[in-house]
Amino acid sequence: MGKTSEEPRIGVYVCHCGLNIGAVVKVKDVVDYVKTLPHVVVARESTYTCSDNGQRVIQDDISTENLNRVVVASCSPRMHGETFMKTCEQAGLNPYLFEMVNIREQCSWVHTQKEKATQKAQDLIRMAVKKAALLEPLERQKSPVQQAALVIGGGVAGIFSALYLANIGIKTYLVEKNPSIGGHMAQLDKTFPTLDCSLCILSPRMADAGNHENIELITYAHIEDISGYVGNFHITVKKEPRYIIGDQCRICGVCTEKCPISLPDEFNMGLKERKAIYIPFAQAVPNYYLIDPDNCLHLTKGGCMLCQKNCPNDAIDFDQHEEYVEFDVGAIIVATGFQLYDATQKKEYGYGVYPNVITSLDFERLVSADGPTHGKVLKPSDDTPPQKIGFIQCVGSRDEKEGAVYCSRICCMATVKQATMLREKYPDAEIYVYYTDMRTPGKGFEEFYQRGREQGIVFIRGKPGEIAENPDTNNLIIISEDTDSGLLLKNELDLVVLACGLRPPEGLDDLTGLLHLSRSPEGFIMEAHPKLRPAETSIPGVFLAGCVQFPKDIPDTVAQSGGAAAMAAQLLTKSEIELEPVRAEVDPELCVGCGLCEFLCDYGAIEVQETEDGLKAQVIEVACQGCGVCAASCPKQAITVHHFTQNQLLAQVEGALESLPPIQEVTP
Amino acid sequence: MKYALFLGCTVPVRTMGYELSTRAVMKKLGIELVDLKEFGCCGFPLESIDHDTYLSVATRNLAIAEEHGLPIMTMCSACNGSLLKAHMAMNDEKIKSHINDTLTPLKRHYNGSIEVKHAARVLYENIETIKEMATPLPLKIAAHYGCHYTKPSEIYEGFEDPEVPYSLDDVIRAVGAEPVQYENKKQCCGGAILGIDESVSLEMTREKLQHVKKTGADAMTLVCPFCDIMYDVNQRRIESHFDEKFGIPVLFLPQLVGLALGIPSDELGLRLNRVPVRSLLKTLGD
Repeated sequence: MGKTSEEPRIGVYVCHCGLNIGAVVKVKDVVDYVKTLPHVVVARESTYTCSDNGQRVIQDDISTENLNRVVVASCSPRMHGETFMKTCEQAGLNPYLFEMVNIREQCSWVHTQKEKATQKAQDLIRMAVKKAALLEPLERQKSPVQQAALVIGGGVAGIFSALYLANIGIKTYLVEKNPSIGGHMAQLDKTFPTLDCSLCILSPRMADAGNHENIELITYAHIEDISGYVGNFHITVKKEPRYIIGDQCRICGVCTEKCPISLPDEFNMGLKERKAIYIPFAQAVPNYYLIDPDNCLHLTKGGCMLCQKNCPNDAIDFDQHEEYVEFDVGAIIVATGFQLYDATQKKEYGYGVYPNVITSLDFERLVSADGPTHGKVLKPSDDTPPQKIGFIQCVGSRDEKEGAVYCSRICCMATVKQATMLREKYPDAEIYVYYTDMRTPGKGFEEFYQRGREQGIVFIRGKPGEIAENPDTNNLIIISEDTDSGLLLKNELDLVVLACGLRPPEGLDDLTGLLHLSRSPEGFIMEAHPKLRPAETSIPGVFLAGCVQFPKDIPDTVAQSGGAAAMAAQLLTKSEIELEPVRAEVDPELCVGCGLCEFLCDYGAIEVQETEDGLKAQVIEVACQGCGVCAASCPKQAITVHHFTQNQLLAQVEGALESLPPIQEVTP
Repeated sequence: MKYALFLGCTVPVRTMGYELSTRAVMKKLGIELVDLKEFGCCGFPLESIDHDTYLSVATRNLAIAEEHGLPIMTMCSACNGSLLKAHMAMNDEKIKSHINDTLTPLKRHYNGSIEVKHAARVLYENIETIKEMATPLPLKIAAHYGCHYTKPSEIYEGFEDPEVPYSLDDVIRAVGAEPVQYENKKQCCGGAILGIDESVSLEMTREKLQHVKKTGADAMTLVCPFCDIMYDVNQRRIESHFDEKFGIPVLFLPQLVGLALGIPSDELGLRLNRVPVRSLLKTLGD
């Protein structure tokens, strides 16, 4: 600690980053300039400062030149800030006596004029040197870790994340909003490109998740509240009543037979009916009935109770109430999946108006053995087999008008799969796929697509502008351009399948609000780094798996789930973690307890409390993220954020202003 | 309500029945129409050739309406789109100042304050009055919207749904008639390519007439002189070209509304319609 009272001795290292910086910023000129700045003892250029050699030079200088401050001007601190902090630490220098300047993303990458970019790099470094002279050493505190995890979402991503964690020996809470786990994958009939039966490969894993000694499955529930921070999250889950005693239900089905209320079955996309007492699907986990409280006669109007009167096992309990379950975990994996684009928005295709226009997920239910037609693909208008079927790609994807420029990645292959299955069922049917570009970049994908072509599936490159219906036959007329041949094609089809894109799941706002997660422009959750940290979020201890991060197929989802579980386990297998010391601190002498900081803090990390000296704000150190909102807004300047103190920031501002021409006095 | 009536080039020369009926119906509804002699071409024919010149020609009309402090009512859908697009383009201050520069020698200047509405939209906005005044017409009517009346949707800012248009169907209902639905309702009349490839153009018109015929509609109704040329003026030509009989009367929307409002058929210019409307008038007991 003694070092801070000494005269600052600063070493500055300016990086070429190959040609990333070097091609625009004249690094040598910058180094020559930096040498003239006060307190700078040594300034060097380096091709790759982050390389072993680059780091060794810094460490050598720390010992030989007796440096007590280090400034590296290179890339974003999000890239290598931690690298250089470790470099300093290993050489015996407190890592918070290091300052980083971004002259790549914020300078060389965005500028083309060499002179001006060089000037800007010099300005930025001068600011950092000014700040560095005032840096204080900080110590990291330790905090215990709750060795349990929460996985939100029980689709394929959540199931695999939970199983991976549980198999390591970590207690895992798997929370699913629907009555059964399984997600969208449970609704699929087969998977591409192997044509595995989707539930055959998923349901054993669902059962594992249901039975695992380390997994506590909480279904028909949603996250009510999350507080805390990495290593110590406190979770409140609201569990809806099922009105069934799970242990006693023998799924005999008597209740369903007796129930007088029929409703559209969500699992079957409304193509089939279910009763008000039901089981979502045969392989559901947990495998017992539940009562839909919004539609049950007894629960809405009183009376009835036919199910209870007839249940041979006394499994029905109308006195059940919602339950709040609370527990603590050290890490959270968000795996809430996606929702399918609402095809009724695309009015020109007439979904919901023309009976023979269906979505790709409707098709999955139609082709599924336990679906509404027992696996026979029939035209919804008259339940007869279709002769001419069309698939339209990119419905709600790659469509600026619908607010989605992105490709949903799975629809091309899903359509090839569905067309292939149709070909098997109807060898003589004419099958057309209207596509924008066929995208099949995956193992075995292109081969599967080629096989589809060989089977006589006709691929037409052109997105139809609209579908018209012949009101007499319910047949669908598509006029489209074939951009390969330049011909205008008119086709009368008797079934059209819309390959709907993937959208962020419903209700994601609530969750991202609770966890302070960032969203990408498309609305999916933003990963910490697009290449190197795809399963992490920017919030420590919160990880990502599956389509909630971006549309992806099942193999990619399972792979990312493994990544998220590994990242979480890396944290949870430690007994304690180090907390970042860049935090706010309140000076109780100055604080008047106005509460503005408490109101503004996004993390619930500062609260006003009654003390002997009256109301005073107090920082909850472990929750504080060091964002600085409190310090910036405090009317009494009573809050300091360490590593970003007022003096340090003002010194930076001073440094910035030095390159301006002197201020002219203005006389009126 | 008071509008400057923008006639355009085609309406007063080729579809006078449209002009007559519009004037008669608007009068009956208490909507005053003012003729501004200085109005010129709407600019539409120039739009795809020289955008700046188009904008200048179109904006000149907007400037004239602004001088008189009157919103514009158009009858032709192309005029409507052309003037409205120019008005929207003036939201860009740079374009506006450039176009105003070109208008300076003509001593015109447009500030950007003028509303442009299609006559059919005005009828739709007065649908409650029409309902009150109408004697129900026991007819089945097929609405043809055409292209420029609903598209591009951004210039209509929420009026009409380009994929599921409704305003003409609603007006048909308002006069007590039944709007019939048919297969290619949103299809173009074919008029746009009449000068380029007559056979394709006539084939497009024929297709729609076939679908309308199938519904057993008593008549079609439409809101654009170009569409009318295809369905009404060219109907007999199509019949002889394809050796196929249609005989579908084609009414401009104000003609249909006018009949329900009890305006004499002479004042609605019904005699000028090419496909005879006598049988239709008989159904109505005229």
